[in-house]
Amino acid sequence: MGHLGDRICSLIGLAGVAFFLATAFSPLASFWDLWTAVRPQLLPSDAIVVLAETVSPSGLLSLESSRRTNHGIDLYRRGLAPLLIFLGGANDGGPTEAEVRAELARLHGIPSEAILTETTAHTTREEAVRVKALLQSRGIRTILLVTNSGHLARARPLFERAGFEVRPVPSDTFSDPDAPEERLALMRVILKELLGWFYYRVAGYV
Amino acid sequence: MQGIFILALAGLTSVGAYFFGIGRLGLSSGSFGAAIGKMLEAVGTTLVFLAVNLAMAVTIVLAVRGVTGSFVSVYVTDDAVWMGLSLLQGLTFQWWRGLSGKPR
Repeated sequence: MGHLGDRICSLIGLAGVAFFLATAFSPLASFWDLWTAVRPQLLPSDAIVVLAETVSPSGLLSLESSRRTNHGIDLYRRGLAPLLIFLGGANDGGPTEAEVRAELARLHGIPSEAILTETTAHTTREEAVRVKALLQSRGIRTILLVTNSGHLARARPLFERAGFEVRPVPSDTFSDPDAPEERLALMRVILKELLGWFYYRVAGYV
Repeated sequence: MQGIFILALAGLTSVGAYFFGIGRLGLSSGSFGAAIGKMLEAVGTTLVFLAVNLAMAVTIVLAVRGVTGSFVSVYVTDDAVWMGLSLLQGLTFQWWRGLSGKPR
């Protein structure tokens, strides 16, 4: 590494510091979030599909998983679809996320026959394939797809490719955080989903 | 509001350290710009280590998936500890270069 290497490292460092300061001390993350946000399409559909997030080994849903689950339950109770599909596997031998979610839905008065679970998919691409296999025999064509807004960018084309007419329903509402740490956390989520979309794009999945 | 407070406080301690360095420690004000340049180099090296670490992690995860057929999540890269470790790597590498007289 010589002068050129030093200069390149300095430029990368300058870009990194500028990006860090702009993210922490300006509404950059909020603007980006708003720009990429997906508008919900709340139309009557054949089924509500709630994508997986994470569950702890003790069966505690993550905050995002709870948010998606509650959103799915709310859509069902509003009469937008007669069937609710929960996804999500187990973590270190604990209960599956889908079963924990289904139990929560039953506690909210949703009948067992209106709930389906899928516990074997590991990735969003696998979720689309498994849901297709699960719903194909039922003749289901239109789905309300519930996940966070950033994730919808790659989840939606995958489910469309699987043959569904997708009505996206983001589980997260637009947030405009003020604290630097919250802004950095939001930017981290945005970048994570952007990299995920990029990977799926390069791999030819979307 | 919280952001402005944090930024103002960090600015205040930075200005304090600048004058403390010149007044009490006898540091040269002319080398302050070069010090900022060194800081940017260290941050840049840290980011390079971060990119290499994450790229290697994703490659290994995909290779394990391909070879063994078992599922390993790419979300192993979604951990703040990568940034901390990359910072340690970047700083150590920069110091090592400095102490070795930066071989060309």
